Amino acid sequence: MATPAVNNNNTEIEKVKSPSGFKIIVREFIKDKVALISLILFLGIVLYVYIYSMGLDTKEVTRVDIFNQFQEPGPVHWLGTDYGGRDVYNQLILGARNSLTIGIAITLITSIIGIALGLLAGYYGGWVDNVVMRTVDFVLVLPALMIIIVYVSIVPEFDVRKFIFIMSLFYWTSKCRLIRSKALAEREHEYVAASKTLGTPDWKIMLFQVLPNLSSIIIVNMTLNLAGNIGIETSLTYLGFGLPESVPSLGTLISYSRNPEVMENKPWVWLPAAILILVLMLCINFIGNALKRAADARQRLG
Amino acid sequence: MANQPLLQIKNLTTSFRIQDEYYPAVDNVSLNVNENEVLAIVGESGCGKSALALSIMRLHNELNTKLEGEVNFKGQNLLSLSTAEMNKYRGKEMGMIFQDPLTALNPLMRIGQQIEEAMRNHLDLSDAEMKARSLELLKKVGIPNPERTYMQFPHELSGGMRQRVVIAIAISCEPKFLIADEPTTALDVTIQAQILDLMLELQEQMKTGIILITHDLGVVAEMADRVAVMYAGQIVEIADVYTLFRNPLHPYTRSLFNSIPSAAEGSDRLHVIQGIVPSLKNLPRTGCRFSNRIPWIKESAHESNPTLHEVEKDHWVRCTCYQDFHFPGDAEAEKI
Repeated sequence: MATPAVNNNNTEIEKVKSPSGFKIIVREFIKDKVALISLILFLGIVLYVYIYSMGLDTKEVTRVDIFNQFQEPGPVHWLGTDYGGRDVYNQLILGARNSLTIGIAITLITSIIGIALGLLAGYYGGWVDNVVMRTVDFVLVLPALMIIIVYVSIVPEFDVRKFIFIMSLFYWTSKCRLIRSKALAEREHEYVAASKTLGTPDWKIMLFQVLPNLSSIIIVNMTLNLAGNIGIETSLTYLGFGLPESVPSLGTLISYSRNPEVMENKPWVWLPAAILILVLMLCINFIGNALKRAADARQRLG
Repeated sequence: MANQPLLQIKNLTTSFRIQDEYYPAVDNVSLNVNENEVLAIVGESGCGKSALALSIMRLHNELNTKLEGEVNFKGQNLLSLSTAEMNKYRGKEMGMIFQDPLTALNPLMRIGQQIEEAMRNHLDLSDAEMKARSLELLKKVGIPNPERTYMQFPHELSGGMRQRVVIAIAISCEPKFLIADEPTTALDVTIQAQILDLMLELQEQMKTGIILITHDLGVVAEMADRVAVMYAGQIVEIADVYTLFRNPLHPYTRSLFNSIPSAAEGSDRLHVIQGIVPSLKNLPRTGCRFSNRIPWIKESAHESNPTLHEVEKDHWVRCTCYQDFHFPGDAEAEKI
């Protein structure tokens, strides 16, 4: 918060103006060097992965070339090849793209469902709240992991889109609960009633008055969730219940290390993917924490 | 005075649901508000004055509130309207000023946007016209630098300034009827006086009918034309302000006046009304609701089903107990 000074002229008035939300975030990142580096690194990786992968063909990359099995990293294959003679570097790029796409898509879809339902439940309360919350409870008691595993084994030609679908089906509940609880508190504020007395319809109040007041929580929650969702994809694939080998992801690359021979003697196959996941997770978490502090005045550094 | 009242409340009962049963917080209230008239509603916390105000605007959560009776505004029963039809009245025909200006403003919206909200809903104006009008409104409510305030956020303003903004929002479409729900409670005393002056001034200019909800009898004396005293969801006394202050009749009204600290008299102890307002669930449904707080008055003085009696012209009092009422200390004096 800027310290109020005596205003002699207009330029000083401008200075006293408290910073907008975006400026607070910028300041937080400038103060927190780790978060700033994380942000640059993360954006760099994302941009590089998406741009580079545009020139790659999944079929080409995943074509088995048995004569090139387990090549060590060299000038032709930067990071060597796996047991099918496939280039690890290209798989890494495609895998990172797929994993990021899955993570981002699941985060967005679950957020949209969670925000919409949570906002409705929290704003209206009563039976609306009851219906939504009992639905959430129902979804929560389902053994999600088991259903996902069954779905993966049953559905032929499992791909990125189907994976996003089945994951989104189960992971919107916690967001819905979070938003609902915040909306419950927010709707009691008088500005909601005040807005009603001005003849503003409910949907407008929900979208343009209540939702912006929840935005900080939503942004923080989405960021931290992104890391979690990438993690879920990777671990499921590692266990063999995620994407097939024809669709490379960070998880498929790491899952090659289930073979002890690869694990011990051919680290170039799985190590890059593992490091990339580590770096991405740390980056996202540092960024998320910086955003979290920016949203809470008491924790701010800047 | 107009022949038809601006707002006419007939037998309004507002019931809240508590564990699947409805309890009336506002019980059978009938009121009239004329144009260019300030009606004050006084009463202690929890007596149903805010519930009444919110019922008029239909701001209660409809899922657990039941409204019965009629609220006729310019001849139209508001309770029979759909929400969309109601929204045409809210803001345009009737406005509301809230108690706490800090929470009544959205912390994330600039002042200008918030003032324009009602205009956007009801008036067909261009952005430039709305801005011009907003600035004019800000000037009207006494904000020194409208251009600057227009772009500011609520937290950058002081309490008094915020309440001015809230008033500006309420009058932005020049409604004929305003509800002011304890508009000065959250402000300090000097600002209170300024805000009340401002409201009176605007009321005179725009000839608005106002329901002023307060528990401050000083505010009532300054602002009101007529006063309704509420206790436990019912109106116990209603009269014009001079009559009520000169000749309060109902025991509750008299107790209220007796509870005002006075510097003039050398009375060493302040009068305290015994007991507390019964909670909504335990409210006696029959008999005089005030009887258990004046236990020294004998049962027979109360009516079994108290109604409003017109003791003089336009001065109504509920129950007959006012005739035999005296304060405990005065008992001997009265007997002699």
